[in-house]
Amino acid sequence: MTSRRLNLQGNQACALGAIAAGCRFFAGYPITPSSEIAETMSGELPRVGGTFVQMEDEIASMAAVIGASMGGVKAMTATSGPGFSLKQENLGYACGAEIPCVVVNVMRGGPSTGMPTRPAQGDIMQARWGTHGDHTVIVLAPASVAETYSETIRAFDLSERLRVPVVLLLDEVIGHLVETVELGTTATAATRKFATGPREEFQPYAVTEDLVPPMPRPGDGYRAHTTGLTHAPDGFPTQKPDEVRAAIGRLSDKLVLHRELIESWHSQAADDAEVMIVAIGITARAAQKAVDDLRAQGVRAGLFRPVTLWPFPEQALRDVVAKSGARAVIVPEMNQGQLVLEVERLLGRDLKVTGLNRFDGEPLSPADIAARVREELAP
Amino acid sequence: MNATEIRFSGSGGQGLITAARILASALVDQGRNVAQSQSYEPVSRGGLSRADLIVSDGEAAYPLVSRLDFLLILDQAAAHASDDLLGEGALVLVDSALVRDPPQGAFRCLALPFTETAQGLGNKRAANLVALGALVGLAEICPFDALERATAARMPARLERLNTEALAAGRAMADAQVVPAGG
Repeated sequence: MTSRRLNLQGNQACALGAIAAGCRFFAGYPITPSSEIAETMSGELPRVGGTFVQMEDEIASMAAVIGASMGGVKAMTATSGPGFSLKQENLGYACGAEIPCVVVNVMRGGPSTGMPTRPAQGDIMQARWGTHGDHTVIVLAPASVAETYSETIRAFDLSERLRVPVVLLLDEVIGHLVETVELGTTATAATRKFATGPREEFQPYAVTEDLVPPMPRPGDGYRAHTTGLTHAPDGFPTQKPDEVRAAIGRLSDKLVLHRELIESWHSQAADDAEVMIVAIGITARAAQKAVDDLRAQGVRAGLFRPVTLWPFPEQALRDVVAKSGARAVIVPEMNQGQLVLEVERLLGRDLKVTGLNRFDGEPLSPADIAARVREELAP
Repeated sequence: MNATEIRFSGSGGQGLITAARILASALVDQGRNVAQSQSYEPVSRGGLSRADLIVSDGEAAYPLVSRLDFLLILDQAAAHASDDLLGEGALVLVDSALVRDPPQGAFRCLALPFTETAQGLGNKRAANLVALGALVGLAEICPFDALERATAARMPARLERLNTEALAAGRAMADAQVVPAGG
């Protein structure tokens, strides 16, 4: 594929990124502001021999995605807040049974039907803790159209390599934003580790060195049992404490072991920042502009932008802030304070961490953020 | 960085996002970079609606508008929704029939008959393209033939004649407004 320069919408970039990553199954139920993902997939998937299904609802969509993935196909669904809530039970199944899949949530104003066409970042914690039980999930939060394309590809790669559901968390502005992008040569897409070796020795949840059990490819003849019940390496239910501890512990240990692969973040003007801003999505774009404007006026502001939202790149944030010598941290977000809780957990003992919140359906502006930084530095 | 901020505003169903996307497409073909965003109500017709475009030569650090260079207002509903974003040197174009109460300030504001002209061409829904033709004529941000090509590429073929006429009518309005150099 040669480089193409074009205007692309965030949602379209997500769909095209999924196709480039090898996604060949999409099941969904349209909802603003995510519908263009389904719309684009319905056009693109048949062209590459894939399958698009508009399901009866979001619950069934998530179930279909899990089934397709167990059938050996890279699969995705896309929704917004209310639909994301409906997908949570089956997302828990995918976490427990370690079924690779990508779930896109383009955040809008909530709770409930809320404000369908307005941006919000109210699902930061739902994305991490929405489903039941002591589970692990990866959440990626791109901040531009180009990054939506590349992070969708990375979402599939992480999901397939690590056998874990990955949530791609966009906000309405990024989902609906059109930007000029250059789509370069597609990086090689990661492939799932399928079972090889003697069939009689196969265990669907074997403990391997990389903590990622190979999956059986349907038709290869490996016997596998998949269940939402807590299971031993042979795939059958167990409630023996030592087996349970090993099984649930491995899910977390797996992400810790592969932390370097998972974590992604950017910093801007951080080295000597007196005030550090931590933000994601469109709010991070506003923060970038605020930092540029403040620096032009001699104000030492910096930005830490997690691209991998969960697991949060905690050591990176600690290191960047320690190196800067910043004395205060501001967390702007389009909700009443969610991301700030994680930043407080990581830095709050030594530093003043405060939020800057807007939840009226309008994005925080660069001027809002710059004013808050100045307030922090005022004598 | 040299960026130009343009807003198309009015009520839902007037083709504001369509007009912005056509211009965005013409501009990217000219090697410019664009960031195009929008805001609308959850209804298919009516409600405050707008489409914004930032045109730059580099990557726009922030993709949403902060100070408009050009503002188009096609409905009274949007007459004052953008007042905070208008400063000295801005150019405001309003529909002379549908906007009773245009913004006032230290900027140029022209009331032009976009909807009336489109009606005269046979379809008032082409008012967005009449306005787009006038905007491009006055803003001089894009060659007119590039705009025509982008329109033809993005719109249904059966509307090509109407759309071409609508753009040309808008351009004629712009030509009538532009004071020749030295004149």
